[in-house]
Amino acid sequence: MPNNECPACVELRIPCKPEYVGVARLAILGVASRMKFSYDEVEDVRLAVGEACTTSVEWAERNGKSGSSIILRSEIASDKLIVDIIDESGPRNEGAVSETEQEPENLGALLITLLVDEVSVVPKNGGTSVRMVKYAGQ
Amino acid sequence: MNFKMDVRTFEKDLPIIDLEGEVDVYTAPQLKQQIINILESGAKELVVDLTKVDYLDSTALGVLIGGLKRMREVDGNMVLICPSPRIRRVFEITGLDKIFDIYNTEDDAREVMGKEIE
Repeated sequence: MPNNECPACVELRIPCKPEYVGVARLAILGVASRMKFSYDEVEDVRLAVGEACTTSVEWAERNGKSGSSIILRSEIASDKLIVDIIDESGPRNEGAVSETEQEPENLGALLITLLVDEVSVVPKNGGTSVRMVKYAGQ
Repeated sequence: MNFKMDVRTFEKDLPIIDLEGEVDVYTAPQLKQQIINILESGAKELVVDLTKVDYLDSTALGVLIGGLKRMREVDGNMVLICPSPRIRRVFEITGLDKIFDIYNTEDDAREVMGKEIE
């Protein structure tokens, strides 16, 4: 969504590297704190965003795309927070990953599902876009 | 990045890893290496203290699961100290609280380890 249609959007672009995932978490902590979320709900959003970025970083490493970026885009609505994590980490070819390597990633996906109210994952321009929605006062 | 890790030994044979700050995709590899070092030193028991941890993600959970698995392969055990409800919640919602032995205090963890040594 273009910024002029989204007056309460916050965007951040970070390098797709492990040391920058904490920066995305800090940013979303600031955004989520502006919502009518409980302390636990803010923590849920922080963890979910951290997990989504971590998955992007792991796929970038596997696909040789560690020089790419992650865009974090958040939109504050009256009743919900929408967060998009958009990467350029290449295709997520699950079959190429051994069972052992998949374990933490599956845990990450499980955590995201448990922590936010809606999740959608779609391939996008050589990467993946993950949309997470958390409703306030649920 | 806010992360610290120290290793100490209780009564000469029980290694305890003290963690502080954020254990995530960036810092968890250090924890993984430390657990491997302890395993390679021949230890069969390990305590990981999460008391001062304020963030823990799936990468950290994966490292802890790997450590527990390897300890159990040699008939050993690894237990966690985690009094923080926020961090404990991550174990609870993923169901991992049923796999790990989690204690509120170091005394509780050491007591259990002591019993297992006997």
